Amino acid sequence: MRVDRLVLEDFRNYTRARAEFDPGLNLIVGRNAQGKTNLLEGIYCLSGLGSPRGPDSSLVREGAERALLHAEVARGERRIEADLEIRPGRGTRALINKAPAPGLGSLSELIVSVFFGPDELSLIKGSPEGRRRFLDDLVVKVRPTRDGLRREWERTLKQRNALLKSAPRAAGKQVLETLEVWDEALCRAGAALTAARLSVLADLMPFVAKRYEGIAGGGEIHLTYDSSWLTGDLVMESLAHPRGIDQSVLASELGESIEKIRGKELERGMSLVGPQRDDVVIQLASEGSDAGLLDARLFASQGEQRTSALALKLGEFDLLAEVLGEQPILLLDDVFSELDPSRRTWLSDAVRAAGQAVLTSAEPGAIEAAGSGNVIEVVSGQLRAG
Amino acid sequence: MYAGPVQRLIDELARLPGVGPKSAQRVAFYLLKIPTAEATRLSEAIVEVKEKVHLCRICFNVSDEDVCEFCRDGRRDRSIICVVQEPPDIVAIERTREYKGLFHVLQGAISPIEGIGPEDLRITELLGRLQGNASDPQVSEVIVATNPNIEGEATAMYLARLIAPSGLKVTRLASGLPVGGDLEYADEVTLGRALEGRRVIGG
Repeated sequence: MRVDRLVLEDFRNYTRARAEFDPGLNLIVGRNAQGKTNLLEGIYCLSGLGSPRGPDSSLVREGAERALLHAEVARGERRIEADLEIRPGRGTRALINKAPAPGLGSLSELIVSVFFGPDELSLIKGSPEGRRRFLDDLVVKVRPTRDGLRREWERTLKQRNALLKSAPRAAGKQVLETLEVWDEALCRAGAALTAARLSVLADLMPFVAKRYEGIAGGGEIHLTYDSSWLTGDLVMESLAHPRGIDQSVLASELGESIEKIRGKELERGMSLVGPQRDDVVIQLASEGSDAGLLDARLFASQGEQRTSALALKLGEFDLLAEVLGEQPILLLDDVFSELDPSRRTWLSDAVRAAGQAVLTSAEPGAIEAAGSGNVIEVVSGQLRAG
Repeated sequence: MYAGPVQRLIDELARLPGVGPKSAQRVAFYLLKIPTAEATRLSEAIVEVKEKVHLCRICFNVSDEDVCEFCRDGRRDRSIICVVQEPPDIVAIERTREYKGLFHVLQGAISPIEGIGPEDLRITELLGRLQGNASDPQVSEVIVATNPNIEGEATAMYLARLIAPSGLKVTRLASGLPVGGDLEYADEVTLGRALEGRRVIGG
C-alpha cells in the first residue's frame, strides 16, 4: 500500500499544502520546526487511528475550526481517494471515494502506517498508557473490524466511573442495583478487549524477537502481558494458544476481581481494576550474561532501549506485512541522527527492504545512508519538490 | 449581540437540540423576514402542542388525550408490552406492522454520565402495569426494545433483573447484522452479538 498524494488544509502549521510521494523512498528535509513531522503525522492520520503524538485537537491549525486531509492512496490494485475532516470535540469524519465512510475503522482497512519517532523510546521507559495504546492501535491495524471493541470498552468504563463517583450522593440501594448491571457490561467489554490484546501480542512476539536478534546481534527479548486481574498462568496459556482464548473465562476473572475490590471502588469513586490498568512487560536477556530476563523499564541501557523500541516497531511492520499481505507505509521521524553507525546501517537495510517509506531529517546527510529517493523540502509550512 | 428581541430569539433557538449558535442565527433572521401570519402559525403550533399534547397516563407515549391511541385500541394484544426509550421508537416499530401489542415509553435510558438513573425513568410505572391492573390485566411477555448501544443495553439488563423474578417472559430485540449487509465488513462487536443471538434454522 502507498500514499501517492496528500493535501493538507489547516493541519498543524500547514494552511494549505500538497505533497506527492514516490512508491519507494521519500526524504523530507528542512530545518527544525518547519513542519516535517507534521507531514508524517498527516500520513499516519489517514488510517483513522488519531495522532501518534497527542490529542487530535492539536492537529487543527491555530485559529481554524477543523483540519482537512485529502489523499490518494493505493492498496493492491485499488486506487482510493480518502478525505478526513478532523473536528476537535466533535469527532473525525471520513469520506472514501467521496462517499461517507461508516466508521474510521474502514480507513484502517485501506491504509496503515508504522510510525517511529524520537519519542518512541518512551514505549520502553514511559508510562503503561503508551504501551497499551501501541497494543490497542495494533489490534485495529491487524483487524479493522475490531475498531468497536475499544470504543465500547471506553464508553462502558466512563459510565461505570460516573456511577461510582455519584454513589455516595445517591440513595444506596438503587445505585448498587445498577452497579451490578455496569459490572456485567464492564466484564464483557473488558474481556473482549483483553482477548484482542492478548492475541495480537502473541502474534507480534515472534516478529519482535527476530528483529531484536537482528539488531542486537544476539540476546533475547520477551514480551508478556501484566495484569492485576488475570493470573499469570492464564496469561501464559493465552499467549501460548491465542486461538483458544475463551472470553467468558476472562469475563469471570474480571468479575471476581471487581467483586473483591468493590468496597474500595465505592470509597474512591472509580473503577480500580481492569484492562485500563494493564501493561506490556518487555524483558531482555543480554548475550553471555547469566542474569536471565530483566525488565527493560528498569534495567536496560540507553542502547538496549533504543534497540528494543526499534524491534517493537519493525516487528509491528513485519506482522502487518504478513497479516495484510502488503507492506504498510513506514514513517521514520528524525531517527537516523539518534543512532550509532551500526544501528544506522541496519535500519537503512530495513528501509530499503520496505515498500513505501517516508523519512524526515534536519541534516540531509543523516539519511543519505538509506539511499536516494524523492526529496521534499519543507520551509515554514510550504512544500516543494527538492 | 443584536437588539434585545432578536438576541432573545437567537438564544431560545440555540437551546434546541441539534441547533448551534450559527443555525440559531440563520433561523432567527429567516423568521424576521417571513410574513407575520406565517410566524403566528408557527408560534401557535408550539403553544398548541404544549397545551394539548401530554404523556399517556398508562404508557407515557405522547397523546392528545389522557390515554393514547394504542392503549385505547381494543384490538391490540394486551398480553405483550414492548418497552422503548422514546416515543419515536414506537413509530419505528409500528412501521413494520409486525407488532400488535402494547407499548411502554421509559423516557430515556440509564446513563450515569448524564446523571440518569432508574428513578428518572418510567420504570416504577412499568412494574405497576406488570402486576396487573384494569388496563393491563394479563401481561405475559415484555419485549425490551431499548437502543442497542451501551446505555440501552444496560437499561435492558437492569429491567431483565427486575422483571425476571416475577416469572414473566422477558425478551430482547435481536441485534446483529443489517439485512443486505456484507458479513466480511461487519464490526466485531456487532458480529459477536449476532453470534450470541443465533437461532436454529430448518429441522
